[in-house]
Amino acid sequence: MNLALAPRPAVLTLEADSAFVTLDGVTKVFGTGKRAMTALENVSLEMTKGEFVCILGASGCGKSTLLSLIAGLDKATSGTIEIADGRPAVMFQEPALLPWLTVRRNVELPMRVHDVGADERNMRANRLLAMVGLIDFADHRPHQLSGGMRQRCALARALAQDSELLLMDEPFAALDAITRDQLHDDLNRIWQETGKTIIFVTHNVREAVRLGDRVVLMTPRPGRIAQTWDVEIERPRELDSFEVSGLAHEITTRLRAGAIDHGAE
Amino acid sequence: MERNKLQRVFKAVWPRALAIGILLGLWQLLVVVGFSSPAGEPLPGPGDTWSEIVYLIQTGVLIPALLMTLERAAIGYGVALAFGTIVGLAVARIPVLRAGVGSLLAGLQSLPSVVWVPIAVIFLSLGGNVEFAVYFVVLMGAFPSIAMGVMSAYDNIPPLTFSLARSMGASGPKYYRHFIFSASLPGYVAGMKQAWAFSWRSLMAAELIIGSVASGGLGPILDDGRSLGDIPEMLAAMVTILVVGIAVNDIIFAPLERGLLRRRGLVPA
Repeated sequence: MNLALAPRPAVLTLEADSAFVTLDGVTKVFGTGKRAMTALENVSLEMTKGEFVCILGASGCGKSTLLSLIAGLDKATSGTIEIADGRPAVMFQEPALLPWLTVRRNVELPMRVHDVGADERNMRANRLLAMVGLIDFADHRPHQLSGGMRQRCALARALAQDSELLLMDEPFAALDAITRDQLHDDLNRIWQETGKTIIFVTHNVREAVRLGDRVVLMTPRPGRIAQTWDVEIERPRELDSFEVSGLAHEITTRLRAGAIDHGAE
Repeated sequence: MERNKLQRVFKAVWPRALAIGILLGLWQLLVVVGFSSPAGEPLPGPGDTWSEIVYLIQTGVLIPALLMTLERAAIGYGVALAFGTIVGLAVARIPVLRAGVGSLLAGLQSLPSVVWVPIAVIFLSLGGNVEFAVYFVVLMGAFPSIAMGVMSAYDNIPPLTFSLARSMGASGPKYYRHFIFSASLPGYVAGMKQAWAFSWRSLMAAELIIGSVASGGLGPILDDGRSLGDIPEMLAAMVTILVVGIAVNDIIFAPLERGLLRRRGLVPA
């Protein structure tokens, strides 16, 4: 099942030939000397435009570190990261909404930062708020929203940055199962509508299988790619469908075997 | 509807009205039991003091003095606000300055500003004009609170806010405007509020020591009362000073702070 280099289905890739995101031998070491800790070791990954890749791993496997390197929030110790289209938008585990701004103003924030004119800002904010189902809450403040609504707002804000690449760092981890399920549906729909390229970090196997075109499993200490699966289950997928459960089971088995494999290397 | 509004006002006002009533009652009680100075001067009661305030207003003494003092307070506070904000931001952002000046600021804040009066009088009474000396004392009294407020406000910005700003590619003025200033506003306003208390105290100390009747202001009225043995005049000045201190806090800073916190969901609406 290791199909990392298999060609993508044509439907999902507009420019299947050219890599949109290229990670080549990315290594990240924190600290120096005896206290040095290798968080990532020789991580290489290629993504095509419009692809939805889930990076899966237990906490401490370096997946969030990898994301912040791609986001440009931190620098790799060695290796290169190339993104075909400018600065990626980031969605964090916490909504990170600015509490003094209304929902609308939060969504408009990236546009204000990048000097988008008032008319276009307003139009795009309306479109995005409608897309995430928050149009009726445009004038609320973050503290008046539920956890799920906050993450919807954060998603709209990330989309407002108008970047082709969207990085998501366990954005639904803090939500209850029912809300998370709804957000999976929404994200799937929004991804299909917008054609964004998404890198989605999670420790939830079923979440990864449900959402991703590809699931990249990472093992910890040092963080490296253990195995990659292409997910060819028809969308929209259901969390407890037979196919999703089956692949999730397979990945979980591999995840459990990780420690043994690691010792054998 | 109208009745509801009335009820709300009453609900907001009664604890304070009660507290003031108790205070005045205790004061009156001291008068009734015949509290007096060792020299035998009786303590004037709230009624006498009120009459004195009315008298001072009618004779055209109190209002010009009050305006004079408020003008000094506004200018002194304004300068302290500007200076403190710049110092606070610099110390918060620049590690060397933080190491060098950070603890000094805390020390300055605890230094009673009245100790600046003698040196201010000698070096800053330009051409016999004491205004600069007064402003200097207010500045030294108030700016450390502003600077400390800015520092702690900056330190309390959630790290995620910085990550967010960077991930959006915000830099320069936009970085400050959309993220740093807005995020630190509640802490900044708390510092402003504290600095007002300090500047008002400093101003009174300065006016009381430096001031002469000719230079105007509330301090000299208080001092005048003391030197003439006019105890009602002293009390009238004291009450005015107290009321102004409270009023500025209640009218300007408290609503500002409450509004900020409410919008951010930090206090119940």
